[in-house]
Amino acid sequence: MKTLYVEGDTLLHRLSPRPKLLGLAAISFLLFLIDAPAFLAVAAILGAGAYASLRLGWRQSWLRLQMIMLTIMVVAAFTLFLNSSGQALVVLLRLTALALFAAAVTATTNIGDFIDEITLAARPLERIGLVRAADIGLSIGLVIRFVPEILNRYQAIRDAHHARGLRPGPLTLAVPLIILTLRNADEIAAAIDARGIRARK
Amino acid sequence: MDIRFEQAEARFEERIVLHPLTLSLTERRIGVIGLNGSGKTTFARMINGLVAPSAGCVAVNGFDTVKHGEKVRADVGFIFQNPQNQIILPILKEDIALGLKSRKLPKQAIEAAVNGILARFGIGHLAERRAHELSGGELQLAALASVLVTEPGILIMDEPTNQLDLKNRDLVERTIRGLDEHIIVISHDLSLIANFDRVLLFHEGQLAADGLPGEIVARYREIAA
Repeated sequence: MKTLYVEGDTLLHRLSPRPKLLGLAAISFLLFLIDAPAFLAVAAILGAGAYASLRLGWRQSWLRLQMIMLTIMVVAAFTLFLNSSGQALVVLLRLTALALFAAAVTATTNIGDFIDEITLAARPLERIGLVRAADIGLSIGLVIRFVPEILNRYQAIRDAHHARGLRPGPLTLAVPLIILTLRNADEIAAAIDARGIRARK
Repeated sequence: MDIRFEQAEARFEERIVLHPLTLSLTERRIGVIGLNGSGKTTFARMINGLVAPSAGCVAVNGFDTVKHGEKVRADVGFIFQNPQNQIILPILKEDIALGLKSRKLPKQAIEAAVNGILARFGIGHLAERRAHELSGGELQLAALASVLVTEPGILIMDEPTNQLDLKNRDLVERTIRGLDEHIIVISHDLSLIANFDRVLLFHEGQLAADGLPGEIVARYREIAA
């Protein structure tokens, strides 16, 4: 996977970024407002439907979603352990629905459009002197742009373990991944400064 | 171009990476060579203010790189060793436009500038392509286009032919030769800087030699032997 964006001509692709992002914000709000498992289950099914409309196939979908789904399962397992099965179910359904809707929006929205929309949305905060809107847009764009790079780096480190006949362990995977990612982040930050991409004062 | 180092030194914590250096650069093509860890990249990063001197000062066209960092960076473009990290947005034309958006130019002006720079490097056909689909040579040209679209007068390139095959290396060399901007090239590729106006040799954080390519490369070979 080289980018979270997926080429296509589905309904979600054709929809402009603003309604998609506003819709996602509204859905997120509702998902955290309502606790009924039936409602959350329907939301998760609808989220799955939105994601399935991208027609990526099972394998590609799993590759893209496996990290977030595994994380959700860990959070749900902790909730089960610390609270109740009912609450664990709510957490599982709520986060799954949210992840599927967000993944569908991310996969159908070009990063440039994403940055423009987020920047526009942050303008009121800029007017009252809280933030620089372009920086907010750029930060979110960078996260979307470089998440697949981190996953690729993780796979490369895992391959390096196998090539040397070593069994990948959580520590031997995490430490080089964190170091490489931080070093990479430094270089990207330097490139942003060098190219004068951040908004001028 | 007028770049001045006045007793400029770079330290990372207690370690001196570049010893106090005083020099002036005015030539159009300057090569920077030296062994790994000799201070070349730090020297280059000091020119556009990415590394601030821990003592002394660096000025570009009269502007101090610390006090006027934004102005200096607008005048000095920088191509990093790994151009992949320099391409911020996945689609090439969007990435090139990104540097212009912060200047709040009208949309048509941005589009014209992007098309112009793509045409200048003969990579108009790559406009809609994604960075990860480009070859090493194409990626270098893309990085060049993304930096030069903002029209800096000076361009610094950190090992631009690193990890390129012969075909892409030659493509990048031809492109560098055709650039009108003042250029400073850090390179281990000695033939790339063979016809430059001036070459600086760094060794163990100090400027070890400074002169014409022939004599400096010979000195470098002595050091490397």
